[in-house]
Amino acid sequence: MDLIMQFIINSLIAGATYTLVTLGFNLVYGATKFVNMFHGVLAAVGGYTVFFFTQTIGIDLWVSIIVGIIGAGLVGFLADRFIFSTLRIKKASNLVMFIASLGAFIVLQAVLAMVFTSQFQSIVHSVDSPRVYEIGSAAITHIQLLIIITALFSSFGLVLLLRFTMFGKAVKAISDDEEVAKIIGIDTNKIIGYVFFIGSAIAGIAGILIGFDTGIQPTMGLAILLEGATASIIGGIGNLYGGIAGSFLLGFVENFGIWKIPSEWKGAITFSVLIIFLIFRPQGIFKK
Amino acid sequence: MAVLQTNKLEKHFDGVYAIDGLSIEVPKAAITSIIGPNGSGKTTLINVLSGMLDIDGGSIVLDGIRLSRFKSHEIPMYGLTRTFQEVRLFNQMTVLDNILVVLTERNVFSALFERHSNLHFMRTEELLKKINLWEKRNELAGNLSYGQRKLIEIARALAMEAQIYLLDEPFAGLFPEMLKVVVDIVKELKTRGKTVVLIEHNMDLIRELSDYVFVMDSGKLLADGKPNEVLNKREVIEAYLGE
Repeated sequence: MDLIMQFIINSLIAGATYTLVTLGFNLVYGATKFVNMFHGVLAAVGGYTVFFFTQTIGIDLWVSIIVGIIGAGLVGFLADRFIFSTLRIKKASNLVMFIASLGAFIVLQAVLAMVFTSQFQSIVHSVDSPRVYEIGSAAITHIQLLIIITALFSSFGLVLLLRFTMFGKAVKAISDDEEVAKIIGIDTNKIIGYVFFIGSAIAGIAGILIGFDTGIQPTMGLAILLEGATASIIGGIGNLYGGIAGSFLLGFVENFGIWKIPSEWKGAITFSVLIIFLIFRPQGIFKK
Repeated sequence: MAVLQTNKLEKHFDGVYAIDGLSIEVPKAAITSIIGPNGSGKTTLINVLSGMLDIDGGSIVLDGIRLSRFKSHEIPMYGLTRTFQEVRLFNQMTVLDNILVVLTERNVFSALFERHSNLHFMRTEELLKKINLWEKRNELAGNLSYGQRKLIEIARALAMEAQIYLLDEPFAGLFPEMLKVVVDIVKELKTRGKTVVLIEHNMDLIRELSDYVFVMDSGKLLADGKPNEVLNKREVIEAYLGE
């Protein structure tokens, strides 16, 4: 029973982590209809920005976190302005956009490795053990609890933003038919720029929290992206609610999957679930 | 007085001219129909006028402003809006939101924090009641019938409060009672001093509604004038009606 409780907690942590990745990933996909590989490296940007400001410059942790979130958002925004927006204007295909985002991902990942080395690093100096809360005999650290709370608040906030603001309606209009959105006077390029900023900032939050929980590495973006993209596809790519559902489903399947088999198989479980969905329900859980 | 002019307008696709040196003047506060056989360049002209396609040559003069290159999203600033031959709504949004989105705050920062005002809701209610679809306001636009979707597209154009309405086959595929609603809307636009440009194949409606007619063939202007004069011209009958 205690083991089950720990598995449930681990599943919730994994689901919340994937949710933080899928929120931005799906937001950008919904507005642009291309699979943005660059999204993964933005998590690393968030983590490394906090690392740089706290450890190298010695700025207050909370200030660094805010800079990290805004920094990731800005990098995403600039990538859109200089790369993706230019390609959109040239009416580049989604495949071209995908390749360009992969290229930008690799370039930025290499820059991070050159500046910060490829070593695994810890964001915080502290040698203190993380605070641990016990639920029966199961345990959760305060960072992991923060990941769950942040995922809940980020999901709630984004849903509110899209559902109740004029900006949200404009994003939905672009997602439905970008050409018609232009005809009714929506500056789609500008709105997509803001979508990139918001989505990338959420990816930055994911990277910072993962950094606090397990540490950072320039290559951390790829693993995060693959898990997030898988969760998005399972839930219904481009669908915000689907992404959240897919994230938690993937979290539970992965964690309960390694109950009886070695944890090295976790990745195999993830992609087996993906393949099953691609064959039997390629539109995901939430798409019609 | 012309509110919309094209001067030697050109648009080609891979060397094939869809619009070939077209010069027309659309009169203000009138209903102008553009007719012509399939492939004559009518829809391409609307696409060019609404900024969806770039111009390859010539220019457009909108209410005295000469435009040679402009972006689609700037078109409403010039007081121009359009509908599509194949209805294009925001299918994943409700009927209500399809109209409300037109009333969206154009400043992105304001839009991030603002919600729709009562004025927006009242305007939306008025428009949906005009097309008899107020009861359907909470349904997804994509789930409605073709005719209903066509009416919503017209209501969306009305919400734009434009000066020039480019309506691409607005009567096609409508039941008689829906057709009457659209005819009344077009007439009302004219009485309100708006300019309407219709692409239409129904000759009875063209005779009934139009003040002026342009006939296009192979991207060129074949004839223009009052409906009864133009529709009786031999070259128009030959080109358009194939007689």
